Amino acid sequence: MTLATHERALWLARHVLPHEPALRAWLYRRPLAGLEIDDIVQETYAILAGLERVDHVHTPRTYMFEVAKSVILQALRRGRIVAFEALAEAEGLEPPSADPSPETIAADRQELGRLAALIAGLPAKCREAFTLRKVHGLSQREVARRMGVSENTVEKHVGKGIGVLMDAMGRGGNGRFKASRDREDRDQTKLGNDPRQRRHH
Amino acid sequence: MKTEIRPNLATTRDSAATIDAAAAAWAARADRGPLSADDQNALETWAAADPRRAGAYARALAVSAHADRAQALGEDFAPALHPVAVAAGRRRLLASGGALAAATVVGVAGYEALSFKDRVITRKGDIHRAPLDDGSAVTLNTDTVIKASFNRQIRRVDLVRGEALFDVAKDAARPFVVVAGKVRVRAVGTSFTVRAHDDGEVDVLVREGVVEVWRGQGGAPLRLVAQTATKVDAAGPLRVIRVAASAVDSATAWRQGQIDLDGLTLGQAAAEFARYSDRRIVVDDPVVARLKMTGLFSASDPDGFARAAALSLGLVATSQADGVRLERAANS
Repeated sequence: MTLATHERALWLARHVLPHEPALRAWLYRRPLAGLEIDDIVQETYAILAGLERVDHVHTPRTYMFEVAKSVILQALRRGRIVAFEALAEAEGLEPPSADPSPETIAADRQELGRLAALIAGLPAKCREAFTLRKVHGLSQREVARRMGVSENTVEKHVGKGIGVLMDAMGRGGNGRFKASRDREDRDQTKLGNDPRQRRHH
Repeated sequence: MKTEIRPNLATTRDSAATIDAAAAAWAARADRGPLSADDQNALETWAAADPRRAGAYARALAVSAHADRAQALGEDFAPALHPVAVAAGRRRLLASGGALAAATVVGVAGYEALSFKDRVITRKGDIHRAPLDDGSAVTLNTDTVIKASFNRQIRRVDLVRGEALFDVAKDAARPFVVVAGKVRVRAVGTSFTVRAHDDGEVDVLVREGVVEVWRGQGGAPLRLVAQTATKVDAAGPLRVIRVAASAVDSATAWRQGQIDLDGLTLGQAAAEFARYSDRRIVVDDPVVARLKMTGLFSASDPDGFARAAALSLGLVATSQADGVRLERAANS
């Protein structure tokens, strides 16, 4: 696998990460025949990280959805999950083509406030290290000196912070909220409309 | 001596959460500085065992890079006092335990943009839609400060700096008044933008409904209906400017994070982009500065705009540390 370069990570942060909640919400509403959304997302990033170039990607959002779809199809074809109907259903998946609404983008742009709130929620020592590193822009070495702890400890704190953000970001403000609401709706009132249920009738 | 991040070569398939945790540890290592040859080898060995790992690592690096944006919070940011967003558990937990579903809602409550008491602030490059107590909403453009003070008689919002779109809920008993420097804008139920320029000039543009505009020291109010605008400077009569529906859309393109450069010169475009980003577009050549460019561009991507301008106008765009320079090609 090709490992992401720093430049590619910046591109992903800027053009892909903001759309991840929408991707997850979309995947969540689709029958995936047992595929885990987290796995699909990770493989999608792997492909985007491994692209030789990204300057031909004019609409990263759409591109990300298409890559995710290809991941699903490939997984089904590889026979990880053998289900002909699932394959047929996945073939018919249509990624949403519409551009996000102004409100969605505005919400994406509230990420700074969200970042602040997530940092605020970290355990005290971790929060201190993460703030010095990411808000004040000190190097990990300087953070260690400032806090009077080892660099390895600072690295662990930073890793913990990144882990918490990874967990929170994908689910994004609206995306996750909507996804969990959708789930409640479906579980409680729309069982009959769920294709996964219908298949067994 | 750095601790060892153990390459996980387990034969069973890792869960996505396990992979994410390892990827976060690797991203933190990379955040420390360039990886040593040993670390690089260990990372590659780890990633080679499962394609999801390289993806999780890329995503961890992206999240780490995204977190660097937190520098915009400034040194005064006090995380210990800030409202907290609780990172909710992973969804697969929810999928297996429906009873937990209600708990996820907690994760998104409890944080809002950067509000301090009754003030709402956006930093450069950000847009924020803020609901107000009366059901109205304000969408703040880049680098904007508003202050709301409502009582039984009046709904007053001070536009301290910047530009905002006001979607005003109807309440005939309590007029909605925007105060921008010396200028007052009054509405009952409508949608309009107010932009306070640094030099004191104030632009008002009405999308829907009716508003009245006047200078604070008195004088007859100017009545503006939908698709009209006015510019209020230090003195002189207030004039109604008619605006085509398409121009209203252009003028509010910022709500979608875009800049509409309908017929602006490159010099004006550079000034417009400077509102949204610290990466400057440098146009020294007056001939180049007068060239016109039309189109809808992402406000956060001055480099992309400069490349597009270079392509369509036959210029050369050169990226620099703090911006991008547009100039004539050497042989033209």
